Amino acid sequence: MIRIRGATKDYDRRQILRGLDLSVDAGEMVFLTGPSGAGKTTLLRLLYAAERPTSGEIWVAGSRVDTLARFELPQLRRKIGVIFQDFKLLRRKTVLENVTFVLRFHGIPQREAHRRAYKVLKRLGLHHRQSALPEALSGGEQQRVAIARALVYQPRLILADEPTGNLDADLASELLSLLCDINYQGATVVLATHDHALLESLPARTLVLRRGVIDYDGMWPP
Amino acid sequence: MIRHALAEGWLLLRSRGLISPVLALALAIPISLAGVTLSVRQWLAPVIELGDRESVVSILLHPRLGGAERQTWMRKQAATHPQWQLTTVEPDELAERLATWFPYLEEILDREGPEMLPTMVEIRTRDPQGVLALKEDLAVLAVGPTSSVNRVVGRVARQFALMLISVVVALIAGAVLLAAVWVHLELHRHAEEIAIMRLMGATEATVRGPFLVAVAAPALLAAAASVVCTVLAVGFMARLAAPLGLTTAGVSPLILFVQVVGAVGLPMAAAFITLERYASADE
Repeated sequence: MIRIRGATKDYDRRQILRGLDLSVDAGEMVFLTGPSGAGKTTLLRLLYAAERPTSGEIWVAGSRVDTLARFELPQLRRKIGVIFQDFKLLRRKTVLENVTFVLRFHGIPQREAHRRAYKVLKRLGLHHRQSALPEALSGGEQQRVAIARALVYQPRLILADEPTGNLDADLASELLSLLCDINYQGATVVLATHDHALLESLPARTLVLRRGVIDYDGMWPP
Repeated sequence: MIRHALAEGWLLLRSRGLISPVLALALAIPISLAGVTLSVRQWLAPVIELGDRESVVSILLHPRLGGAERQTWMRKQAATHPQWQLTTVEPDELAERLATWFPYLEEILDREGPEMLPTMVEIRTRDPQGVLALKEDLAVLAVGPTSSVNRVVGRVARQFALMLISVVVALIAGAVLLAAVWVHLELHRHAEEIAIMRLMGATEATVRGPFLVAVAAPALLAAAASVVCTVLAVGFMARLAAPLGLTTAGVSPLILFVQVVGAVGLPMAAAFITLERYASADE
């Protein structure tokens, strides 16, 4: 599902990723951890082609991401569900609209889109806030809307950047269980976090990123 | 995608308040004016073209010239100025014209008879100023105006049409600029949403569609309003012109077609260019 060969990423002469090599098979669940500034978010951004690597090759879901033409990006991104650290919700749209919005890009009829969105929102305990605007929600609720939006079209790959950062322990555990279910159904999940409790709650492959290189790749705890 | 463009375009239209009617009006006014101008120019085309081609200058020959002398003078002028087309207006015909133009002369003309009138010669030429030289000719009593009415009407009509078209072009340019600036501002206002949409897998067509719909709606309204206004205005002017004996016609379908294409095409082209230029920035 993901293959990276010698990927580097520089920002203003500062090297964030240094010759990263990585392979994630389809259906795997992978935790990505490491200290702040280790390059977790940068790595995820490279995977959903929000940025291009300075050098190296990146393959995601059968597409070479680092050389994709602009018009090919939507096709790639429709295969990936991204849960952003800063939520990236549409401020002028309600919770339900934020979730159904992406289904339009997949050509799903409105009625079916509403049904699917309601189902996901219910599972995340947000169905009663479906008419609220994001600004009226707490950080945790906004996080859950972002999660619902990423899951609603059942992508083959889920990239989650600190998805439990704004959730309490119960909700974090509920989210992890949801991601496990999705993973069990065949989706690949890459979850970036520095929440050690979360890592320890589920035995899974864990990548520790330090100063732009993978310092550890294996089950957690080591 | 079309459903998305329509839904989001409608939201854009609703959110921007008076801009849509202003844009529709800004397009409809000059395009209607252009339609009326072009229609009226079509009516005046024969006059304008005649004014361009040639003028008729009338001269009066001295009454002392007899018939033979007059013929000799005419032959001499025709030989000297082969580009002139000379036509003699006999006293009877001249008397009739004078009685038509100046009815108060009718009584005198009846009393004195047309024989008292001098012979008039009409010279049709492209260079009416060249006829002025005949003022020095002893056989010529007077030379009429060298600037024909047709020529003046043609020149005035041309200048008026040119002025109107210049105003129309300036107004249309303003309306198109308004459309482009509005799209630019909306792109700026929705930059964050556009970036999120792209990250979620929206295609360029999905991103740009709503903006095009929001420009197309007032443009279509302007096209319809322009066609209706032009037809009504030209009809009204035709009714005004009828008592003056002017031959008028309805609005040409070609003019209406050009109006629709202009009203829709120009702001859409401006929106396309603006989107191409400013919506291409990556997130």
